Amino acid sequence: MRTSPGVARLGVIIALVLVWEVGVRLFGDPLFLSPPSHVAAALWQMLGNGPVMYALGTTLLELVVAFALAVGIGLPVGLVLGLQRFARGSFYPIVLMLYAIPQATILPLVILAFGIGPPSKIAFGFTHAVFPIMVTMVAGVQGVRPSLLVCARSMGASRTQIFWNVILPHMIPSFFTGMRLAMTSDLLGVLLAELYVSQAGVGHYTRLFTESFEPAKLFAIITCLAAIAVVLNELCRRAERHMSRWHE
Amino acid sequence: MRNGKFAVTVEGVSQAFGPEGDPRRVVALESASLEVARGELLCLIGPSGCGKSTLLNLIGGLMTPSAGEVAIEGERVRGPLPKKIAYVFQESALFPWRTVLDNVKLGMAFQGVPRGERDERARAALTTVGLADFADHYPAQLSGGMKQRAQLARALGLQTDILLMDEPFAALDEQTRMVLGEDLSELLARTGKTIIFVTHSLVEAVFLADRVAVFTARPGRIKTMISVEEGHPRSRAFMTSDKLGRLRNQLYELLHDEIRKTMGDTRP
Amino acid sequence: MSGARLVYRVTQAAFVAAVILVWWLVSRNGYISPILLPPLTDSVHEFVLLIERGAYWPDLSVTLYELVVAFLIASTSGCLIGYLVSRSRFAVRVFDPLFAGLYSIPAILLFPLYVLFFGLGPGSKIAIGATIAFFPIILNTIAGFDYVDRSYITAARSMGASGLQMFWSVMLPAAFPVVLAGLRIGFILAFLSILGSETIASLSGLGHRIVSYAESMDPAKMFAYIFLAIIIAFLLNAFVSTVEARVRRRHG
Repeated sequence: MRTSPGVARLGVIIALVLVWEVGVRLFGDPLFLSPPSHVAAALWQMLGNGPVMYALGTTLLELVVAFALAVGIGLPVGLVLGLQRFARGSFYPIVLMLYAIPQATILPLVILAFGIGPPSKIAFGFTHAVFPIMVTMVAGVQGVRPSLLVCARSMGASRTQIFWNVILPHMIPSFFTGMRLAMTSDLLGVLLAELYVSQAGVGHYTRLFTESFEPAKLFAIITCLAAIAVVLNELCRRAERHMSRWHE
Repeated sequence: MRNGKFAVTVEGVSQAFGPEGDPRRVVALESASLEVARGELLCLIGPSGCGKSTLLNLIGGLMTPSAGEVAIEGERVRGPLPKKIAYVFQESALFPWRTVLDNVKLGMAFQGVPRGERDERARAALTTVGLADFADHYPAQLSGGMKQRAQLARALGLQTDILLMDEPFAALDEQTRMVLGEDLSELLARTGKTIIFVTHSLVEAVFLADRVAVFTARPGRIKTMISVEEGHPRSRAFMTSDKLGRLRNQLYELLHDEIRKTMGDTRP
Repeated sequence: MSGARLVYRVTQAAFVAAVILVWWLVSRNGYISPILLPPLTDSVHEFVLLIERGAYWPDLSVTLYELVVAFLIASTSGCLIGYLVSRSRFAVRVFDPLFAGLYSIPAILLFPLYVLFFGLGPGSKIAIGATIAFFPIILNTIAGFDYVDRSYITAARSMGASGLQMFWSVMLPAAFPVVLAGLRIGFILAFLSILGSETIASLSGLGHRIVSYAESMDPAKMFAYIFLAIIIAFLLNAFVSTVEARVRRRHG
């Protein structure tokens, strides 16, 4: 019997969901665990619930704004760091050191600085996302094959021509890779900040549902967030793949 | 087929990849038959995809034929025969995480040589190929030619009667190939092993072989067998002789059309 | 040191000096509230006190304990299941995309569920640490064993290697570097996620301590613990890199 892997995978998922459903109904304490059927019901209700949807929307907005800021600042800074030898030698090591700092340690500080509303989430998402973009841009500039540069120069290309016609096209795949990595980090930053403390965003509800022991609703809202994450990640991944088709 | 006279007997062997009726089915080898005498060096030569490496794998028991039979010393081949057959591959199949000496010893461990004997045999094999000083080096530290010599040492350490070599010198430059070819001929003269050698190089085939089996383009059949009547060890003089030149030209004529055919060129 | 290198080093030193100067100026003139940015001297003083008195130990030990347990769970399950999956081409095609797909969901989302289930103690931190570390480990284990160069396996088979010999002498050493990289990534991710989750909801641990000082408006002590956490992070990173490098070297 020749089953395709996709079908088998579906089978595995269905089997796990069934085990979850039956297992929790038989052995689970409803205070801590919820079967998927209840989660689905809670999810359905949630979609019609105004305040919760608003909170999800706020979170999505935070994600997008943080991402835009990270790209808007990270892209030019990354380019400068990559192209300018002095900047790269002096400041890039500092960037790398900052990148290595575990940002969870400064979360309370960021909240103190920006408050408990969306600005702090945007700030924390920004600090997470800006680094991958800068790092990939610098790597992208380095990655241009020297033989291509030599070839262009031998044909008499000026520095500007080389930049626009050789380096920049090479940077595009790196840029999209950086965007994909930045999105992953952005999600992490914004979600961490939301889960820590939130008034208008989704973190408010996760804390509410946790403290009032409502696992079905908690799981439902987590599913919504997971769906948002998957969609955003997938968008970035598709964009990257589309733009990198010629890449070696 | 209880004929123990020949080291290797191949009878009507065919090999196809893919199920019957599948348009993507590839018939690599069609009805190949040959006999290899003990102590003979047989070269298999032909265009790419003609099934010569496939035949080698079938002889070595790494594959079972779709049709036909392979026998080693009269006994039918059903799987690898590490005590009778040793392999030397084209890409260096030396384990990079072990030293050269350990690589040779590991081969013996797989074959089942008692632990106490391994070290001595390994060092002897390395001396035979001239790598005694590099016993404690890692493969990454060796040149291409040295890596292949190390592989040969591993195969020799197994002390088998039969050696199967699949384009072992293909990745090396021509100069190294010449030197290693001379060494191989000398080894053959000394040890009397039966060697089956796959190659693309016309000169290499004539220089090394007692007989050359010429393959057609896919599906591969043995077009003809050419005898090189010349004793081992082959000398430098043979390399520059008229005889070698003539045989090489003969091979060229036989192969030229087959190679063109493989490239899809149907010009006359 | 070459001329260019020297210039870079000097610039970096100047940058650090400038940051310290700005910090000092700002806190002296009160441009930023001292609750947010205490004088650098106070923070350093608190940090030194912290180290001298060893008051950091209770929280550090909790964090390290959570890290070790989480990593052990993730590595044993990840390596074992990863190896078993890699044995069948079909299983790889079924499960590898599944794990890779799950990896793209930020696993920190599961943390509230773990808090609901395990409470505020180390259990929820261990759970999230193990969950997050599991994925790079299993993906790398599958990849490591799946992509063992065919030529090694063929060579070993031709020499008569038994199943056990094949595993110990060929597959394991060949897969090892990739698996090790997965373990390194998993370890670091476990640490970062534990630190983050301690910040969100915990009763003890380094992350929690930072939060508690933020909430009790004791920023100097908060900065002291931030410095400590950063140092611990660098030490763990260095430790993991050294282990990997040393094992790599011996591995040849």
